[in-house]
Order: sequence, then structure tokens, then C-alpha cells
Amino acid sequence: MSQFMTRENLQKWAPLLVLIALILFFSAANPNFLSVRNFARITMAATPALMISLGITFIIIMGSIDLSMEGAVAVCAVVFATLFLSLGGVLNSWAWVALPAALVVGSIFGLINGLVHVRLKIPSFMASLSMGFVGIGLSLLMTGGDRIRVEDPIFRSLLTERVLNFPLMVYFAGLALLVAWFIQSRTRIGRNFYAVGGGEELAHASGLNVNRVRVIGFMIAGVFYALGALFAVARIGIAETATGYNLMFISITSVVVGGTALWGGIGGVWNTLVGVLIVNVIANGMIVIGLPRYVQDGVLGVLVILAVYLSTDRKSLAFVK
Amino acid sequence: MSFIRKFIEQETINRRKFLLASAMGIGGAAAAGAFGAGPVRAALTDPTIAWSYRNRTNPYWNEIVSGGEAFVESMGKPKGDLVHLINDGSSEKSLADVKALLAKENGNVALAIDTNDAPNCRPVVEAVAASKGYVSTIWNKTDDLHPWDFGDHYVSHMTWSDLGPAEQTARILFDKMGGKGGVVGLGGIASNNPAIERKQGLLNAMKDYPDIELLDYQAADWDTQKANQIMSSFLTRFGDEIKGVHCANDTIGYGVLEALRAEGLQGVIPIVTYDGNPQAVELVIKGDIEATVFTNPHWGGGITAALAYYAATGLFKPSDEPHASREFYGPTIMITPNDAKAFKAEYLDSVPTYDWKDFWGPGNGQIHY
Repeated sequence: MSQFMTRENLQKWAPLLVLIALILFFSAANPNFLSVRNFARITMAATPALMISLGITFIIIMGSIDLSMEGAVAVCAVVFATLFLSLGGVLNSWAWVALPAALVVGSIFGLINGLVHVRLKIPSFMASLSMGFVGIGLSLLMTGGDRIRVEDPIFRSLLTERVLNFPLMVYFAGLALLVAWFIQSRTRIGRNFYAVGGGEELAHASGLNVNRVRVIGFMIAGVFYALGALFAVARIGIAETATGYNLMFISITSVVVGGTALWGGIGGVWNTLVGVLIVNVIANGMIVIGLPRYVQDGVLGVLVILAVYLSTDRKSLAFVK
Repeated sequence: MSFIRKFIEQETINRRKFLLASAMGIGGAAAAGAFGAGPVRAALTDPTIAWSYRNRTNPYWNEIVSGGEAFVESMGKPKGDLVHLINDGSSEKSLADVKALLAKENGNVALAIDTNDAPNCRPVVEAVAASKGYVSTIWNKTDDLHPWDFGDHYVSHMTWSDLGPAEQTARILFDKMGGKGGVVGLGGIASNNPAIERKQGLLNAMKDYPDIELLDYQAADWDTQKANQIMSSFLTRFGDEIKGVHCANDTIGYGVLEALRAEGLQGVIPIVTYDGNPQAVELVIKGDIEATVFTNPHWGGGITAALAYYAATGLFKPSDEPHASREFYGPTIMITPNDAKAFKAEYLDSVPTYDWKDFWGPGNGQIHY
């Protein structure tokens, strides 16, 4: 018994067990929950959040934090929509350039974020929080507070076209997840994230350019934020300053609930997938069983405390600040 | 410990300055009285026009402020002359900004403001009245606070009653549904006054439609993304039972529409919204939305600044006006597919040039409590 109930095992499998338990609970409460159509709805709602969460996963593995996602998403969404419309507004023209352009903007945003953090030696939470505000301000400047509608049917087919009952965007998100997994497990930079998060001094002493790893980490996160922005625009058809609204809370909650430790070095993209699904299953399930929506924030809060509790080795901590 | 000493010194100087300033203020007032300026100070000349509001991210406040700018421009001034006091949802900042502006301009201020929450209205109005500036408020005010209790300096208060219009949109929705079937509602931030009134409007309308059933009502916090998620969850929970959707504003409506589009249900399930944003009006013309309500924030933003300004410059004397001219409801215009095109041509294709001296024409009568 005690062999299986080790902290490591619990830490590894608890998120998945929680997800399964939630699905069983909601299905028992309302059988409609357990249907392909509903899972399509849950995954559809989850795609933008999954992209943001994948980005922040790398940062958290490094032991840093990034709070700039709301600003980054707003900037990427607005730049994408503005460029897309000015280049023709339909995907089968030069407007497709807006898609890679958004990713470039995301990476530049991440680059600046990383440089501010590393070069100016500002703690990552403060550097990224400030950059987030800069992003919100920038997108507001570009839009003047207006919303930009993207109505091209080909672009919107990400939402409206379905293969095997799931919209196209879900498959593209799956592809991005595989890319993230590849970065994490098959590339040097992926391993370096764990090295930095596991013990920065050691990594530095082994000759690793920690600052470079950090900056690249923020750039990769920026690209995923841009992907999240694209999916968010595809889902709603609107790009605005508020496109990224609430994504900070949702993404960090997802990553933590998925079992990636805030101290760095532990966890990964699959944890994040489970975490995002937990958060979205709760959001969907609460409504499906007829509870008021604001209860869900409370439940999520409790889950975060539980997740952090499980992922913390208290013996190794002299104090908590 | 030099910084502590420095702090104490500074505080001492500040207090001294404050005492001196207060003494001068009292002396000044006495002197003015002695020279026969009378109980009402002569009108201000060229007061600074300021708008104090939440922020510009929100399309509604953006429209409000654009009206303020249009008013400033109507007097041949650059729109940059309008002073923006942005409170970002903080009543403390709202009050502090107003006090700072009053101090800087020595009370020579015509202020238009939404004080962010109702209790904050009194200190703001008192501060303006104490420095003989002029203020007009919108939306937030406690029921016991009235402009006529402050002579001329609290010029006016405008608010919008959403109860009636929200009831009317609900009736339009129910009629579209053939008077029977299930309805879901998506509301604003649960504690917001407009959110409460718009929900109540829906409930009021239901009394006349016994075959309409309210399946569920959830707070979507005025947010498109949240509304989208809630609507798709509603579809899981109620499926085909949903025959209509009542949304508390346009931004919620956009999220609902996209949730329906994703399921191929757009145009099948009718929805009604509120606010009359330009994009929502487009959607009404296309038939995607059955009704929305326009509250003309552009006019509201302009006329509130105009009221404060023209009272300050002496064009009219607020205390000579009846109560109905000092506490009144703003305009509401119902937009349905039948009249959406005409509405768009009149209000949106080119922003109408308003007569900023016609203070009460478009309004909706005295506020009743």
C-alpha cells in the first residue's frame, strides 16, 4: 500500500485522478455531460487557454513566472486582426501573412519580456506583469478601444468545420501540444529548462548560459501566447484589448492544478493538458449541473491550494515567503 | 535615519502650507463677501473641462468620452483640451484625482463624472461645491443625494433605467419564440445595478407569458469569452429545450452568437441584447440579433460635460431649473430588425452633430425612486 501511495506517485497521478473523478461526478449528476458533443464544447473552450498554459509551463519549469499573457494575447490578436483585414481579409489572399506575423509579434514580445527580466535583473513576475500592462496599453492604442471583427469564413472554419465531431481548431491545438512536447523532451533547450528549474547554480556552474535559456524560454512562451490569441480570435471572431482577459488566472491555475510545481524543475506539457481540462471541465460541469457560476472560482481556488500542497516537499523548505 | 527626519520636515511644511492655504481661503471668501460678490459666485470664465471615468478599454466608456471630446470641439477647442481623469475602477483614485484637479485649477473646473460607486458621489460633489467648481454626474449616486441641495454647483445627475427596455427586449424575444418554450439568460456582474435591472426586466416580462420557462440565468460578467463558454454549457444541459436567449449586453451577445455558430444553431435560436453597440446594430440588420437597446453614450458623455460647462459659464442657472431638469433619465432607443437600418443611418454612419445646448430634449423624464 505505502509503496504505491508515495508522494511521487500521488503527485504524478493525482491530477489525472481528479480529472476522471470530476468527469464521473458531473456525468452522474447530469448524463448529458458525458457526450461527444459536450466534450467538443469543452475542448473548444479550452484551446486558447491550453496554448497560453503550454507557454507558461516552460517558464514555470524554469522556476520563473510570466504574468504578461493578457497583454501579449491582446497585442497579438489586435496585430493579427488589423494586418489580416488590411491585407484583404480573406485567408486565400495575402492576408495569410497575418498568421505568421502574429507569431513573430508574440516572440518579439517574449524577447523583450525576457531581456527586461535578465538584463535589467528585474524579478520575472514584476518584469512580465509590467510588460503585460504595456501590452494592454499598446493594444488599446492600436484599437482606440474598438473591437475588430474577423469574419472570413475560411479562417472561421477553425471553429465551424468539424472532423469527427470536433472543430478544426482542436486538432491544430493538438498539433501545437505535440510541438510543445517535442520541445520539452527532444530538444536541448527543453532539457535546459529543467536544468535551470532544478538548480540554477548547478546549471550555471556546469557552463550553461542561464540567461540565454531564460530569454529563449520567454520567446517560446510568446509564440504560444500568439497561438492562443489566434485561437481566441477564431473562436469569438473578435480581436480586442479584452481578448486576453482572465487568461492569466486560468492558465496559471491550469498549470499548477496539472501538477507542475511552482518551484520549477517538475512537471511538463502533459500535466498542463490535464490541468487545462480540469479547469474547463469544472467551468462546463458547474453550469451543466446547474450550480451558479461563481461557485466555480471557489472550487478552483481550493484545487490550487491542494495541488500546491501536493507538489511541495515541505521537508526541504525551511520557510515559506 | 536622515530619511525619517526629512519626512517629518516635509510633513511639517505641508501642514504649514495647508494651514496658510486654509486661512487664505477663509480670508478670501470673507473678502469676496465684503466686496458684495453675493452668495452665488459670478460665473467662471473658461473653466477646465474634465471627464472622470473608468477607462477607455470598454467600448461604452470610449463612446462616452468621444461625446465629451465632441462637445469640447464644438466650441472650437482642440479635443486635447478635455482633461481625462481615469479611475480604473477605484473610487479612491476617482476622488483623489478630482481633488487634485480642483486644487490645481483653484476650483475653475467644469467636471463630468461617473464616481465609480454610489457612496463616492457625495464626497466628490462636496469637494467640487466647496471649491466653487461645477459638477454633473451620471450613473452612480445614492438616493438621498440631490443636486438641488447644493445650490448651483451640483448641476445635474443623469442615469438610465434599464428595467423597461430590458422588459421590452424580453417581450420581443418571447413573441419571436411564439410565446412558449425555454429561455436562458446571461447577465452582467451580479452586483452591478444595470445587471440587476436587466434581469428583473426579463422576469417582469415573463409574468405575461405563462408558457415561457426560464431554464437558467447565469452571470457572464459582461464578458464575451465567459458568455461563450456558459452558452455552450447551457446547450449541453438543456439541448433542444432552449428556444431563446436573453443577454444583458451586446458583448455577452457576441459570445452567445459564436457558441451558437459553432453548433450550427445561429439564426435558429433568437437572441436579444442591450447597449446598441455599432457591431450589434449590424447584427440586428443581418437578423442575427432580434433587438438591442441604444442608450446613446456619445450624447450622454457630451451633454454631461456641456451641462457642467454651461452652468459654470453662466448660460443657465441650475437653481432656477425644475427638479426634472436636474435629475433625469438618459435616452433609450429600441433597435429591431425593422428599424435597424434607419437607426444606423441616423446615428452610426456619421455621428450626428448634437446641439450641446439642448440639455433635456433627448432625455427620458425625472428620476423616480
